[in-house]
Amino acid sequence: MNVATAPSYRAQLIGSLVAAVLIVAIAVIAVTLAIGPGLDATELRERQELQEERREQRQERREDLQGDSGGPGG
Amino acid sequence: MEDFVDGVTKGNVSQVKTVLASVVLALAMYQVALMAVAYGKLRVPFLKPKAATFTHRAVGDAAVAVGVFVAFLCYSYFGIGDGIEHARDEETGRATIHVVSGSLFVVAVLAKVVVVRWWRSLGRFLPALGLTMFSLFSVAWLTSAGNYLWGG
Repeated sequence: MNVATAPSYRAQLIGSLVAAVLIVAIAVIAVTLAIGPGLDATELRERQELQEERREQRQERREDLQGDSGGPGG
Repeated sequence: MEDFVDGVTKGNVSQVKTVLASVVLALAMYQVALMAVAYGKLRVPFLKPKAATFTHRAVGDAAVAVGVFVAFLCYSYFGIGDGIEHARDEETGRATIHVVSGSLFVVAVLAKVVVVRWWRSLGRFLPALGLTMFSLFSVAWLTSAGNYLWGG
């Protein structure tokens, strides 16, 4: 009768740990590819500053509009 | 602290968090499979329960270390209250779920470490604790990294 035997304890340990390393590598590669080429810190900061600037401008415009229409006139 | 996090990630905090959190999620799935083998729920010819248990412990230690680092990035850069307050209006719910599940995950990790190391009489709750950890981390991942990757 041909009975399949499990690998030795040591081989099982090494195999399961190597599997973990492979899982990490695949996860890093897959997610990095999904994210795509990243922006560097300077680009990100510039983009953030631009967004904040626009937000402030919008806020100012809204306040100006409220000031124009909210008053008793004149 | 924000400057340190910015420096370590070269300004790509969200991207680094996404990659690391995804690694932890992938390892968490592997952990569930390993424990299924260890408890005899899953039988495979190439791995026995004893080796599965050892690998579960080793991989778990590494995954928790990475998970704690992600939590550190999250907390020190975005904060807890700030993260929710600064989220866009339509994202407040998502941010709240992320903060709650992430915080509960840290509590569950601590509880599991306490049971494994010191409170062995509660060992029968370990499978439930492990699955709770996995569920909480999955929710935390879906409401941050998952949303970042697929939510736009």
